[in-house]
Amino acid sequence: MCDFSGKLIAWLDHELPPEEAAEVERHLADCSECRSGVDAYKRVSCEFDAYCDAAIASNSRRGVPRWAPVVLGAGAAAALVALFLAMPQTRVESPAFHRPQTVAAASPVIVTNVMPASVSPAEKVHRRQAVTPASIRNANAAPVQSQDANVLPDEPMIQIAIPADEMFPPGAVPEGMHFVADLSIAADGSAERLRLRPRLAGFERSTTQP
Amino acid sequence: MSGDAAPLALPLSRLSTGACEATTLYRELQKPLLRYLVCLGLSSDEAQDVVQDAFLILHRHLASGGSQENIRGWLFRVAHNQARNRQNRYDRNFAAASDVEMDAVSHEATPERAVLEKEKFQQLGKAIRLLTASERECLLLRASGLRYREIGEVLGIATSTVSDIVDRAIKKLAEKCNV
Repeated sequence: MCDFSGKLIAWLDHELPPEEAAEVERHLADCSECRSGVDAYKRVSCEFDAYCDAAIASNSRRGVPRWAPVVLGAGAAAALVALFLAMPQTRVESPAFHRPQTVAAASPVIVTNVMPASVSPAEKVHRRQAVTPASIRNANAAPVQSQDANVLPDEPMIQIAIPADEMFPPGAVPEGMHFVADLSIAADGSAERLRLRPRLAGFERSTTQP
Repeated sequence: MSGDAAPLALPLSRLSTGACEATTLYRELQKPLLRYLVCLGLSSDEAQDVVQDAFLILHRHLASGGSQENIRGWLFRVAHNQARNRQNRYDRNFAAASDVEMDAVSHEATPERAVLEKEKFQQLGKAIRLLTASERECLLLRASGLRYREIGEVLGIATSTVSDIVDRAIKKLAEKCNV
């Protein structure tokens, strides 16, 4: 064992006084054993560093509890519900506008239901149910639908039922929850507004399968 | 009463500079501190809490006109002590990190290389487990960029002792890992 071996790591760490460091450097020029020692200590230091990084990366992955997606999903759903509940006031207060039926009908993709603002809630429900096609049928159970009745929009709209597991990882959303997307169509046929609403029950998966 | 005005004004001005310094320091040192604490064996959440506490203490320290010398060492010392208080069993844990999947290091490697790297890390993990607590702490603080003098301040030991401990620990790892 070389006399200098006890100073090599401190030298690597720049912790030696200048005279001692110079001495080590002179020695290293002549001693292959110490040179390979220095290489090994450098490597092991780097590996230790990488190990710490890997440990922290691994820890942060472990740090996410299994139930986190459920909570996040539930939180997202709650936010959507809150958003939905907040919507009626703003929508009712905003001036209703009438889209010309001809424009709506020209839209090639969808079944439209243009409703004048004066239509009574009950009538709206009736119309809406009547025009919703089976292929993109309204996924809502009747009680939920009737709650929605007085906030129906006055523009052409289609509803698409979306299984929750299409949007969230498995287990992230409580069993039985799905979403309904209300898609409003602009006069030129483009999507104007998309509103996502969570629903808890009454979804028949088979209806959305091709 | 006019004599009271000056002492009152002083802490306020210090508070604002202190807040500014603490924010800058937070940006610089938050990650190294978190890494140190997690590697000591704290969970991510615990580590986050400790870092928050440490910076809160730093803020108070600076606001009350505390010494601004070697703040980095000071922060590590506070965090280290906080970690000790919170996690009296943390010693078992750094090694526990070696039990976890080390695939984080192998993203860009070929499968063969990934396997080799994994083995190497497992070996290193075993070797680290065999180190004493102070050896691990010294190496972790050294990996966080602290000087031997600072490490000594954090752990409450002499600089020459730190030098000996680091020397011994690195040599143990090099030997066990056949580096």
